[in-house]
Amino acid sequence: MSARWIRLVLGGLFGAVLIAALYFPILQRRVKQDAKLQPQTEEQARRELTQSLTPTPSEPRVKAKLYWASNANDGSLTPISIDLPLSPDPVLRSKQLLNTLLAGPVDPELRTLPPDAVLLAFYLLSDGTGIADFSEALASSIPSGIESEQLAVDSITRTLAENVPQVMRLKILIHGQEAETLAGHLDLTGSFVVNPKAAQATIDPAAESLLSSNANSRH
Amino acid sequence: MQIRRALESQGFQVVQTRLANENPSFDDRSALANAQTGAVFISLHVSSTGLPGTARVYVNSNLAGGREANGLIPWDRAQYPFLGLSHKFGDLVQGNLAQRFKGSPGSAQASAIRQLRTTAAPAIAVEISSVSVDDRVELDRMAPGVADAVARGVAAFRPSYVVANISGALR
Repeated sequence: MSARWIRLVLGGLFGAVLIAALYFPILQRRVKQDAKLQPQTEEQARRELTQSLTPTPSEPRVKAKLYWASNANDGSLTPISIDLPLSPDPVLRSKQLLNTLLAGPVDPELRTLPPDAVLLAFYLLSDGTGIADFSEALASSIPSGIESEQLAVDSITRTLAENVPQVMRLKILIHGQEAETLAGHLDLTGSFVVNPKAAQATIDPAAESLLSSNANSRH
Repeated sequence: MQIRRALESQGFQVVQTRLANENPSFDDRSALANAQTGAVFISLHVSSTGLPGTARVYVNSNLAGGREANGLIPWDRAQYPFLGLSHKFGDLVQGNLAQRFKGSPGSAQASAIRQLRTTAAPAIAVEISSVSVDDRVELDRMAPGVADAVARGVAAFRPSYVVANISGALR
């Protein structure tokens, strides 16, 4: 191979390395941007699929009180009043409230539930027991610990207690199944008291095998 | 390990439900605890959230319908007859922790903690905040204070650990 060819090949290689060096930072930036956008897009898609709950014009706007973490970072909750179009039907109303709770407060630091968790279904039994079925992300994405798990359940039960008087107790399912714990600590095998007075009045001790009351935990 | 040493220095016998990376089930841990006579049960945790440098004590929240018609207490409600003692024990430990770690609550809180429900003994969970600290040294610095507070709490609780129909007191 002549010296001229060697110079040409080397020059070509040098040019390719130079182009790659210039393009690499741009590629890196795009990958980072995509990584940031991806979870939000998936989350939105899931929410759109599971939430066919667009408020109808007939649903009156109500000042609802939702419970998110307080600024003090002390494991307590703060009520936030929000104008929401809420259905008078307790099941639809519960779904609307829990979806708003999942969407989170203005300050994401005050979230009580993971952003990628989705409410899959909500049922209300005739004895006032609400059954909320969440996606697995509720259990897998929540920060582990008694405090954070308790805060998550308290934010749900207190929001329901404030806005849906028909719900007296709450049973939480993960992807349609009963889970032993939320994320390793909080017991999900029983039901949580939402409305303590009403729940007490309707309870049948023989039928209720286990009632994990959180009525006196953080209220 | 520091808690174990602090308790042993007060004359208590310590049985750990796990020593390394094994992961026994809730029921396995309860079975080991329930086999001890006159024991108390302490579950230790480090949280992912909460005010750094604080510690909280939890006791099981109320369990409805504790006894069966035949007078026996089912396994899944084993904590039921000990709830009052657990509250007392929890308050004593939390009081000691609050003296050492500012911002910690003054009394134990109730929560539906799975591990405590099947434990047939005064049982508490101690949770330290939090793994989110910038430097792990901050958490390590809490260890002696937590160990001392727990050991003092157990010692203070000892005289009141008298349960009718349940034999034994703290060894």
